[in-house]
Amino acid sequence: MTERTLSGIGVTPLSGVGTVVWYRPDADLPEPPAPEDVDEDAELARFEDARAAAEDELEAERERTAERVGEEEAAVFDAHVQFLNDPQITDGVTDAIEGGLPAEHAVQETFSEFVEQFENMGGRMGERADDLRDVRDRLVRVLSDGERVDLSSLPEGSVVVAERLTPSDTAQLDPERVAGFVTVTGGRTSHAAIFARSLALPAIVGVGEELQSVEDGTEVVVDGESGDLVVDPTDERKEAAAAAAEVDIRHESVETADGVDIEVAANIGTLADLGPAVDRGADGVGLFRTEFLFLDRESPPDEDEQYEAYVKALESFEDGRVVVRTLDIGGDKPVPYLDLPDEENPFLGERGIRRSLGPDADLFETQVRALLRAAASADGANLSVMLPLVSTVEELRAGRERFESVAADLDSEGVENELPEFGIMVETPAAAFMADRFAPHVDFFSIGTNDLAQYVMAAERGNERVSDLGDYRQPAVLRAIDATVSATEGEDCWVGMCGEMAGDPDLTELLVGLGLDELSMSAVTVPQVKAAVAETDTADARELAERVLQADTKAEVAEILTLDQ
Amino acid sequence: MERTVTVVPEDGLHARPASQFVETANEFDADIQLGRADEDDLVPAASMLAVTGLGVGHDESVRLVAEGDDAEAALDALEDILSTPEAKQ
Repeated sequence: MTERTLSGIGVTPLSGVGTVVWYRPDADLPEPPAPEDVDEDAELARFEDARAAAEDELEAERERTAERVGEEEAAVFDAHVQFLNDPQITDGVTDAIEGGLPAEHAVQETFSEFVEQFENMGGRMGERADDLRDVRDRLVRVLSDGERVDLSSLPEGSVVVAERLTPSDTAQLDPERVAGFVTVTGGRTSHAAIFARSLALPAIVGVGEELQSVEDGTEVVVDGESGDLVVDPTDERKEAAAAAAEVDIRHESVETADGVDIEVAANIGTLADLGPAVDRGADGVGLFRTEFLFLDRESPPDEDEQYEAYVKALESFEDGRVVVRTLDIGGDKPVPYLDLPDEENPFLGERGIRRSLGPDADLFETQVRALLRAAASADGANLSVMLPLVSTVEELRAGRERFESVAADLDSEGVENELPEFGIMVETPAAAFMADRFAPHVDFFSIGTNDLAQYVMAAERGNERVSDLGDYRQPAVLRAIDATVSATEGEDCWVGMCGEMAGDPDLTELLVGLGLDELSMSAVTVPQVKAAVAETDTADARELAERVLQADTKAEVAEILTLDQ
Repeated sequence: MERTVTVVPEDGLHARPASQFVETANEFDADIQLGRADEDDLVPAASMLAVTGLGVGHDESVRLVAEGDDAEAALDALEDILSTPEAKQ
């Protein structure tokens, strides 16, 4: 058996070794029996049972997805239930059964007509075609009763290979048993890719039709970083991949080769992200984006609900710091129950601390109460809070005064509370320029590189036409970071970084050299960054940072970093 | 009973607004149909397939036709959905 390699788009920096299980939900059904051999009443009853069972499954998956991934992703299942119970569908299937087809063939035929109609309409209708296909496959699977691959009970070490994986498919996958997955279609932002990252599964998408040549039961190595799928790998290859898969997850904290402690933490949005953060060995939470507690619901979470959420995060990391960012609403994050103004340029408008000190003062007060109470809970000493999008010293003072006055209120109510460690995000050029004036008033800074790059370079995040400008390797962005860290010299103020840059293991040495004390990233890259910290020598790192800061262009920065590898 | 309404949600009659529209249409004791305001064809409002299949976008007008005991209440509720910018959940 000779090894061969197919390539696609790697979507997680993880490798896995396993055995291929093809998942073909739209495989052809066997030939139907002759119409006179079909028991019409029995088939109608089977269809009704299957419909009820499919609806139960959808409800359960909706719940599971809301919990694991988010309310936004879960909403698709509501549409699925409506398609399932659509009168045009049920009438069509009933007619087809009465015309002499068994239930699964009737379902296949009826849905396929509509799928084709929607596909021909193109655009957004094409998405609906995917939903319909998804509902059809579910019904056919229920009807054919276990003759198809059941994604929820795969053998351990399975690599799921499919044309595409839908939200319904991924909701069934048990991440403990799956060694990875590979799909024919899809890109970096496809549903399957996002799912793989949130659950830290090795995955490759968009391999193309060549993938069809890989048979069930074949051994493969899934390299989610390079995008290489190695078929029939040699023993050496498997060992190397298995070793890489075990990228020593370090649960203990990490120091550089010369003994300097660097905190490596995880960014979280919802409580569902805590599990992967702990599993990947994060020291704590460096950024808890609390706005996710407020999105996709009809009313804001009350004080107790927030208190529970913050305490839960603190309990997940016994000795680790949990940095909670107060509400960062506005910009690109809509909240239905808030009357957000229609702004010409929301990224430069009323967002972050600007809203918390303005129209959202009541929401902010509730959040501050919950945070002050959480700081007095059993693990509360590890709580830190920071304000987003601060650009003036007045904002910092006003925010801090809010915490102090609410603490006084709680005291007078006899409610236990503590003032947590207090910091600000450095995301605006104003904050970077004024860092020396901010530093005496705070315990820490956390540099938000996604926004900092956007604002320093005047290049909108997510706009591909200016993505080269908005790159965090631009010398101007690096200077803003350097200025921020340098401004804390002689002050009792640590400096962390959250944002994609912190999670890039190729930049870890540079960031240590620039003087960062803490790095916070999506859970998936925590082990790689911890490994990179352990290899770093701070004197070399400082020297590297000095050279990088001399660069005129992003290309020069990249070149210095590559030569250094 | 008939009414013409302009579709306000950004998504048009897709995704959540459509989901909610169909759910509401099914709640009333009335036979409800809809179509584009400038066309004669009508489709059942209780069918997700039919409603999304119309492909009505933001700012387009639709004609709602209802018959039955709850016709008026149904039209009120559906008009409310079509005139609300963000789909309520």
